[in-house]
Order: sequence, then structure tokens, then C-alpha cells
Amino acid sequence: MTFRVGVDIGGTFIDFCFFNEKTKELSTLKVLTTPDNPGSEVMTGLKLAHERMEIAPETISHFIHGTTVGVNTVIMGNGAKLALFTTAAFEDVLELARLRMPETYSLMSFRADPLVGRDAVFPISERIRSDGSIARPLDRASVQAAVRGAREKDVAGIIISLINSYRNPEHEREVKRIVQELAPDLFVFTSTEIWPVIREYERTTTAAINGYVHPKVEHYITRLQGALKKLGVLGEPLITKSNGGVMTAELGKANCVSMLLSGTASGVMGAAFLARNAGIDHVLTIDIGGTSADVAVINHGEPHYATGEKVGQHTLHVPAVAVSSIGEGGGSIAWVDDFGVLKVGPESAGSTPGPACYGRGGTRATITDAFAVCGLIGQESIAYGAISINPELARKAVSEIADKLGWTVELTAKTIIDVALSGMYLEINKLVARHGIDIRDFTLLAFGGAGPMLAPMLARELGIPRVMIPLSPGVVSALGGLVADIRNDFIASLYLPLTEETLPKMAEGFATLQQDANTWLRNEQKFEGPANYLLSADMRYAGQSFEIEVPLDSEWIANNNVEAIRDAFHAAHERLYAYRDIEAEVHIVNLRTVVTASGPKPELAIAPLVEGSAQPTREAAVVFDGTPTTAGLYLRDDLKPGQTFVGPAIVLQSDTTSCIPAGFKAQVDAWGNIQLTATEA
Amino acid sequence: MRNSTQSADIATLQIVANHFRAASESMAYTLYRTAQSTFVKETEDFTIGIVTPEGKTFSVPMDYGATWYPGLDYGPAIDMLDHYEDGDICFTNDPYSGFLCTHTPDIHMWRPVFHEGELICFTVGHIHNTDMGGAVPASLSRANTEVHQEGIRFAPSKLFKAGVLNEELLRTMMINVRQPDMNWGDLKAFTGALNTGARKIHEMIAKLGVDTVKRAMYDVMDYSETQARALLSSMPDGTYHFTDYCDEDSAGGYPVRLNLTLTIRGSDAILDFTGTDPQLTSSLNVPTGGNPRHTLMLVGIYYVLYTLNPDIMVNLGMTRPFTCILPEGSVVNPQFPAAVGMRSLTCGRLRSLIFGAFAQAVPERMPAAPAGSSSIVNVMTTDPKNGRRVIAAIDPIVGGGGGMPMRDGTDGSGADGAYLKNTPVEINEAEVPVEILRYSLAPNSGGAGRWRGGLGTVLEFKVFSPNTRITIRNRDRSRFSAWGTLGGKAGVASGSVLNPDTEKEVSLGNQDFVVAGPGDVFRIWSPGGGGRGNPLEREPVRVLRDVQKGFVSEALALSDYGVVLKNGAVDVVATDRERERRMADAKQAGFFDYGTQRDAYEATWTKAAYSALMDILFSLPVEWRFFIKHEVFRAVEALAPAKRGTAASIHEIFERLQLNYPQLRRV
Repeated sequence: MTFRVGVDIGGTFIDFCFFNEKTKELSTLKVLTTPDNPGSEVMTGLKLAHERMEIAPETISHFIHGTTVGVNTVIMGNGAKLALFTTAAFEDVLELARLRMPETYSLMSFRADPLVGRDAVFPISERIRSDGSIARPLDRASVQAAVRGAREKDVAGIIISLINSYRNPEHEREVKRIVQELAPDLFVFTSTEIWPVIREYERTTTAAINGYVHPKVEHYITRLQGALKKLGVLGEPLITKSNGGVMTAELGKANCVSMLLSGTASGVMGAAFLARNAGIDHVLTIDIGGTSADVAVINHGEPHYATGEKVGQHTLHVPAVAVSSIGEGGGSIAWVDDFGVLKVGPESAGSTPGPACYGRGGTRATITDAFAVCGLIGQESIAYGAISINPELARKAVSEIADKLGWTVELTAKTIIDVALSGMYLEINKLVARHGIDIRDFTLLAFGGAGPMLAPMLARELGIPRVMIPLSPGVVSALGGLVADIRNDFIASLYLPLTEETLPKMAEGFATLQQDANTWLRNEQKFEGPANYLLSADMRYAGQSFEIEVPLDSEWIANNNVEAIRDAFHAAHERLYAYRDIEAEVHIVNLRTVVTASGPKPELAIAPLVEGSAQPTREAAVVFDGTPTTAGLYLRDDLKPGQTFVGPAIVLQSDTTSCIPAGFKAQVDAWGNIQLTATEA
Repeated sequence: MRNSTQSADIATLQIVANHFRAASESMAYTLYRTAQSTFVKETEDFTIGIVTPEGKTFSVPMDYGATWYPGLDYGPAIDMLDHYEDGDICFTNDPYSGFLCTHTPDIHMWRPVFHEGELICFTVGHIHNTDMGGAVPASLSRANTEVHQEGIRFAPSKLFKAGVLNEELLRTMMINVRQPDMNWGDLKAFTGALNTGARKIHEMIAKLGVDTVKRAMYDVMDYSETQARALLSSMPDGTYHFTDYCDEDSAGGYPVRLNLTLTIRGSDAILDFTGTDPQLTSSLNVPTGGNPRHTLMLVGIYYVLYTLNPDIMVNLGMTRPFTCILPEGSVVNPQFPAAVGMRSLTCGRLRSLIFGAFAQAVPERMPAAPAGSSSIVNVMTTDPKNGRRVIAAIDPIVGGGGGMPMRDGTDGSGADGAYLKNTPVEINEAEVPVEILRYSLAPNSGGAGRWRGGLGTVLEFKVFSPNTRITIRNRDRSRFSAWGTLGGKAGVASGSVLNPDTEKEVSLGNQDFVVAGPGDVFRIWSPGGGGRGNPLEREPVRVLRDVQKGFVSEALALSDYGVVLKNGAVDVVATDRERERRMADAKQAGFFDYGTQRDAYEATWTKAAYSALMDILFSLPVEWRFFIKHEVFRAVEALAPAKRGTAASIHEIFERLQLNYPQLRRV
């Protein structure tokens, strides 16, 4: 029992990250994905690890997996056929959504179709008031009729979501009981068992997404469990979650929504871990792949959490690590519009055919091709030889753009990079303004295949003085699984003004949440070690339509300290929105409890630092910022902790290339990360 | 169009444009994050921009804010102050000072940005304040008749002079408004946003050089103009007429006629609003000062251009190919001191006017009419549990999008109402002492068509306290429907009723204010969007699916679509027969279907009769026009139906009126 394994599936590769608990060494492995047969690459990878790296399956103590089965099901639109049961007169909840359309300047903007067709929505005769009292008792006959209707639609499962069930879930439970009695072969989820939060649309659509992906996720996990057992991996596999934590794979079969965004979340958790380890607290992480760049803010070592993150064209209203996606990646295509303006994206060559220089059939110039033309990548082959860069193909693609502009290929390539950077500059500026942070306090941590290629230039553009490039930028997400805590969120909507009289109800609510959390951790997750309970409340000034999550001290609740709770909210409000309103009534909308528990964390080996400059393998002729120059070419494997070098430089490694312009000083830290510091103001 | 721009600048334009937008978006995010009022937080009734030293808007955010002001010209207001220095923050909320501000609650602000002593640009924007004083809370009422009733007005002034707050001015504002703290909070947030923008411009100058920045602000406008001209050039030259109506010109009044003649010649377009009603003695007037490119007149244009080319760069450049003709003393160019507070209602209909004209110019690329409603239901009541007074916005009443060239109009919301967000039923019930009985789509409300118009919504709630006051600001489209095109039918109009399906039922028509008592039930439904194309050509399976979803009844499937359903399936043979029988008639349908109410209205108010009325009204002094319009309308109502609709009948009526009012002079 020596190895912990983190496994993350991306568009092109599945990444393995192995941590040897004895030697504290991390090792990595990449296998091409098999989109037609999800899961089989996991087995291929483990067999390869056994053969090449002598990691026997029975020596694996923890197997932590991020799966994309759920998110792909939503994106491809091939999930389960569902029926939805709602309170009568509110059947259009998914059709109405929150009314607002995605594009406000267009006369023809529209939303994605709901995951449950309106013809499969059936009314339940019942009504609960906002205080939880029953205005109209549940009519059993209406449930029977709804089940008959669902049967006629030939659905695989049923979602039950009734008005005000967040306050009193009795009717939802009763409807579920009746459905199970009448149709034991159908799966059933109630909105309150998935995420019992106020706001009927958000609660309903979240439950619907859960049902939509449930059969495929369950099937995948069951197969994975079986295959791992067959290989001899002992112990229950863990699944990474959108909240950056993990849970047992078994729990993931029913609680599918909580893992949908685990891919991006794991990346942020992995990056946060590496940064914390290196003593860096304020980080902007950027994960650049083929089609998009995912950006997250880590403040004081902690990522931001949010609800309402996007899954394909749908939004998911469970807590997730907040990640903003920018529609630009290494494969984004450059083009010239009818008026002679050079643009980049949003169209992308993706992983197939990929950039022209990959030689896999792509012919249109991408950002990656622009880098290849400049000699910034492709000096050696990358990605275990799975992909080799052919600069001639890149030149050919970029020259087509150059001809349209009447420019040289080099100037065109430089400008493609500049346009791409300015687009990222725009999007990241919005994020910075939204969070109200000062970017000069931050370090840009780059990972993903194209992250280290673009990040140093992007940092310069943004005015971020520091860049961190981890030792293995390609497997940060897989690492994120390895280092994740067991974590689960619990919520109860309270919706009361913050007063002395409310406190006993808060105490009662938190007690119930704690009990739920404990039951989950001990009975369902079957975890026996120590646990942490983090209490918070979503609060707002009366009349506001959005809440702020404010961490609470359990002492305040125990001691009836209304003032402390109110002050905490005022302070949080001022921090986020630059003012406080002492006069206004404060409302408590939701109570939250997060339970976390961690096994032993991997402790990364610290290498002794050596003095002096790193010696480049050779000098390479490159073009930086449109100017031909020579850059030192370094092999990442040869760089020793403590060594320094300066830009212009190119660092090659199997899973990425770092392109460092002049004006940066680089130092390799004790964990092998490259730390860049701007030398020019 | 400047020709000096080098092709190199054009090719790299996206880079500077992204930087400009980064500056505007940073300002908008900062304002949204720090402002306090619900107008900013809920309806995003604010704008942000960056303008040239001459006041032309060259950059706006796309993520946040209202969609009405990318063509705003700050020039005349900027010129009303004679000297600028670093740290100045200027503002005005007077609709008659340079025609920048368009009603008193909007405070427009501008801040000069200097580089080494040279004025580079202004960072600008506006916020809708909850109240600026005046006759009624929130400063807005249809019943206001002159701008003086709409609150305190500030001519262009400096709130900060070289960074120093003008406290006397601020105090004056504070004692005149009903929620001074909120106004001041928003002004502070706004100042922060304008400063953020200035900082971003300085960063940009440091990075790209001052010359590039100075040149690029004109280049991005030129580019936008080029894109707009390319779209116009792709349209056939021609002249297109369109008329639409607001339901009422004052509480319980007569319709407002808005009239447009669009002429496209090459890459230019003229929007002639002649034939539009004279200015009103209510607050529905649209203050433009006759500016031929006033942004309020061109909001419909922004939508059309963006819809036809979503890559268009949104700024003032896109307005340059357009010239508006705005008759003096009309609704669209009222004379001081006409009230203008509720101009947003009229603006909604002005957008329909532009959509209607372009639907004729490029029928293959334009959708049918969206519902065209953007009213918001507010409730003022007391909580029976504790006597607490509650004022709350319940939901916007928007309605469906128009049928599109390749898909149905969106249900519930869409098009130029798409920016509004509803309030969850559960939040409403937790905050306001009401019980929501229904919140759903309105079946059968979408105009029939090859592509169906989007459905409206139904909201129904019960109140529990005496003297509960329900207001529905911007109430419209309860009489004149969203029109269908190319054989598609008009959508169903909006409506509201108190105590539906009971003996106490009262139909409320276009009323925007109702007093309800304990146990009363209020129901309101929003309009459906117009249909597009011949409904008999809609695939029967789509009609069947609409029936299965409850969006279209079986009866309507037959009467509107000629689809015969039998045992839950399409009876193909009977459907073919039914459609064949009706196809010849259906093909006779005109380009537009306006709905029965408008057809009935226009049987009385024919083109000839209305032209006669317009000729008469515009020959009168401004102060008489609204009065005589009402007198003539009343007299027409007294005519026998057979005598209505001719120019002669209008002239006859007017001759009689002249006898009654010998003091009436012609101008």
C-alpha cells in the first residue's frame, strides 16, 4: 500500500498522477482518451503504470478519479428521459427559468431547451405555504395520474419538485413514496434531497440535471468499481467533486450533480495546493487547453466558491469552485473579417484536428501555430512523442492570413498572439473588477497544455508581476484529486430576519445540518478519522436579491451573539461591495454546513537548492514580440532547484513548453516549480 | 468615414478595442458591485461608456447595463461647462440641457481623463436613481404634465471640482429627494467606477502609447460605421412605411400613433417620423431635441444591427449611417416643458416601429414582432401578521419573442425584453404577504405561424390586506398586439383582471394602477409574440408537440394551423385535406397581421382620416394639439360607424370645433 493515484480525464489525454507515500515522489503518466469507450483508458493507464513504472495495482491505497461522463452527457444531450412532477399551476418552471436570455442585444437570442420536455411535466394537486404550513393537502389521485402520464411518455426516471418544499419537504417525500410504490422500476429524485434551497427554478433544474445524468454515471461508476477490483486495486475508489472535495464513488451514483464540474475544480485545488506548498497565498490560476482557458481566484490560500456555474448550456446551483471560462485556447482559430480586422476565436480546432502544426489534418492557423512560426514551440517534440510540431505546416497556415493582410508571416504570427492576449486581458479584467482584487498582489499560476506557453506574456499584459509554472503543468488536475479533502455541503433555507428570536431557530437548523453531515460522513462515506465542520449563512439586507455567504463561528450561535453575526455580515458586505448599511434589516436566507475530513496529505519532497545559473542546452532562434532574437533553450528535467535563468527563454518538457520573454527572471524553487518575477516595472 | 486610417491599424483594431472594452467592463463591474439601489442591482438600469473629447461614445460594456445608450452624444452637455481639469466629475439630470439625460431620475455623469495636461477622453455613464423628488414617489407618473413635476433638475454642473466635492450642490439635491442616502451611495459608487475607467485608460496609454489610444477611439467608431454600412448595403434600396400604437396617450386616453418611413439608399438610411402624434399632455414624450441621431430613436437600430451581425462593434459609429427626421412638437421631439418621465413606454413602441420597417426591407432575416412589453408589477401592502408596510417588485411582465426565420419565438421572454429577470415564486411569498396562485406560460397566446410567436406569461396572486396598491409601470400592448409577418398571425394582447372567474370579476384593460382588498385576486397576462410565415406550412408534428405541451389547444391546432388531431396523433389525410382547402385564402394574407383590435381601430382611423387629423394638429400651436386630438377622437366616437374613416369627416369635426374655440389660431 504505497501509492495514491489521481486520475483526470481531459479532451485529448487522461492524466495519471502517482504519489509514492514512502519516497514522496510524484510521477505522471498520459494516455490518449478513448471517447467511444469511456473508462477503458483508466485500465490501460494502470496496466502501463504496472509495466513501465512498476506500480502494482495492489500497492495502490487510494484511487481518486475525476470523471467527465456526467458533464459530457449534458453537453451531448444524450441523458435519461425524465418526467417532472410540480405543484399544479407551476408546471412551466423550467420553461420560464428566470426569464432573462443569454444575449440582451439580439432579437433572436434563446436558451437551451430544458432537460425535461414540457409534455413530460405533470401537475400534483397540493400546496405548501412559505411558512411550511399546508394550504392544500396532497391529492393521491393526482400522483397516480402523473405516474400514468409518465408511463405513457416511457421515461426512465421522475423528478419531483414542489413549491416551498425547501421549507417543508413532506409532500415531496410522500409523492416519492407513492411513485416508488406504483413504479418501482423508475428512479426518483426529489428536489430537496438533491439541494434543498429556496428558489424553485434553481432547485428544480439542479434536480433535473441530476436525474438526466444519473443512469450513465451510475453505469460508469459500477463498471469502474468492477474493473478496479478485477485489477486488484483494494479499497473503495473516490470521485472528485465540483466543490473541490472527494466522496466515495458509490455515493456519486445518486449524487451526480455534485461531481459535474469536478474537472475544473480539481485543477484549481491542485494549483492551490502547489501554491500553498510554495508559500504563495494570492493566486490567479489559469488552465489553458485547446479550446478554452479556465481562470480562478485563490485568495488567502482558498479558492472562491459559487453557485450557478455553467454545465454546457445549463446552470448548476450547487456549490462549486468558482471558475470563469474564456473561449480562447491553444487551438483558437485566427481569421480576418470582411473589413480586414484580424480576430482570434471563438472557433477552435480543438483536439481534432488540432492546430495545423500538429499535422493531424488542421489547416487553419491557431494560436499554437503562431507560437510555432515564432519558433517558441516545436524546437523539440513534446507529449511523449505523441504529438510532434511541424513548423512548416504552421507557417503555411499562418501565411494564408498573412496574404490577406499583405503582411509577413512573422508579423502576422506576432499579431495573432497579441490579439489573443488582448482577449484574455479583457476577460480577466472583468473577473478582477468583479472580485474587487488588486492584481499586483497576485501570482499567475499556469497549467494545462497551453498555459505555460501563454502565461508569461499574459502576466506582462495584465501587470501581474509573478508567474508560477508547476513542475508538471499537465497533471495539476490529477494532482488536485490526490490532495483533495473529503467534503460535502449541506444547506437549509431559513429566510428569517436576524433577531434574538431567530437565533434558537438558527441553532436548531445548524444542529440538524451537523447531524446530517455526520451521518453522511460516518454512515455513507464510512470515514472514521477526525472531521471539520464549517458553519456559514447566506445573508443579505432586506430587499436585496442576492446573498453573501458569511462564515460563522459556532460560539456565536451557542452564545446567542446576534451582534457578532450581524457584524460579520456588515464586514463581508463592505469587503465585497464597498459599503455597509447599519440601519437596514439583515435577513438570513440559508444556513450552510460544510463537512471536511482529510486523510494524510501528500507531503512533497523538498530538494536541496543549488546555487548558480542554469545552462541552456542550446541557443534557439526565435521571434519574441515580433523581434528576432535568440533564446536559451532549457530542458525541464535538467533544471535543478535553486538555479536561475532569465528571459528570453524556452523551457521544454514532455507535457508543455514555457515561453518566457525578456523582462522575466526565473528561479526553480525547492519543489521544482519555475517562479518568474518581472524585472521591469 | 475617415480614410486616413492605415490598413495596419485596421488589422490590429481588435487589440485596442479589447483594451477599451476592458476599461468599460471594469467600470461596469465596479459599479454593479458597489451601487446600492435596486435599479442598478435588479434591472441593471445604468450605463457606462467612454467618449471622445467631443462627447462621442466609442466604447460600452456588453455584459452589464441597459442597451439604450451606445449612441449617446455627450457633446452638447460637455460644451455647457466651459473648463475642465483633472479630478472634475460632472453631472446633469435635466432632459432639456443638451438632450443627454432623457428623464429626471437618470443622473448622467462624465469625468475628463488627462494625459500630460491634454484631454484624452471622458469616462461616462448614468444611473437611474430611485427618486429625484417631484409630484410622486419615484418621480415617475403617466399623469405628470410638465417636467417641473418630475423632480429637481440640475443643469450640467460639477459634483467634484478638481477632486473637491461641491457640498452645497449635494445638499440641495439631498433635501429635494426622498431617499437621499441611496442617491448619495450610488453617486459614490459611480464616482469610483469613473475613476476605475480613468485608471484603465492611463494603463492603456502606458502600454500602447498616447497616439495609438487617441487615434484608436476614432478607428473603432469608423469600424462600427463600416460594419453598419455593410449591413445597409446588403439590403435592397427602398422606402418602407410602418405604423404602431401605444394603447393610451394618458390615463384612460386614446392611442398614441407612431409613424415611420424608412428609406434605404445604398449604405445610408433615413428614418422619417413624420405622421407621429403631437406631443402629449402626459409624460410619454421622448425628449430628443430633434437630434437626428438621438440614441433613444435608434435603440431599435442597435437591435437590428446586432441581430444581423453579432460581431458588430457596439458604439456611436453604428449610428452614423442613420438620419432621423423628428417633427417639432411631436411625441418624438417635444417642446419644453413637456413631461418625459415615462418615455420608456413610448420607446418600447418606437423599437417595434423600427423592427416593422426592417421586417419589410429584409423579410428573410428579421423575426416577427416581439411581445413589446416591459412592465413591472409592484405591490404596496401591509403584512397582516405584524402590520409591517411592504413595498416590493413582484415580476416583470415581458411576453414572448417573435417567430424567427428558423425557429419559434422564445416563450415567456425574449428579444428587446430579454434583459429582465423574474423573481422566484418562493422569494415573493417569503418576502411579500401574497400567495401566488399561478405563474406559467399563457397557452394559445403566441401568434400562429410557420414559426410560432413566443407565449406570454400568466401571473396570478391573492392579497390579504385592505388598501393594497398594485402598480404596473409601462403597461401597454393590452389593445394593440405584437404583429405577425409573412402570413404569420399577431400574438394575443396582454390583459389584467381583478377576481377572475368570480362574480366580482373586473376587467382592468390597460390600467397601470389598481387598489385591491383582502382576498382579492389579481391576474395579469403578458402579450404573445407575433408568428412568422404561413401557419398552414408549419410541420404538423410541431403543432402536435405544441398541443402535447399544452402551448396550443386542439381547437387552435385546427383553426389556426389546419391540423386535424385524432387520438393524440396527426390525422395526415384529414390535415392535408383541411390545409389544401384553406391554402389559397391563406396565401392572400398581407405581409403583416396586426390582430383584430388594431384592424377594428384602423377601420375608423383610416390612413386618410389620420393624415387629415395630423395635418390639422400640426397646424395648431403646440399647447392646443393634445387637447384638440382628444376633442376630435370624442367626436369621432359619436359618429355613426358608416360615417367614420374619411378625411372629410375629420375636417367637418374640426370646423365645428373651431366654432367652439374661436381663440384657436393656426401657425
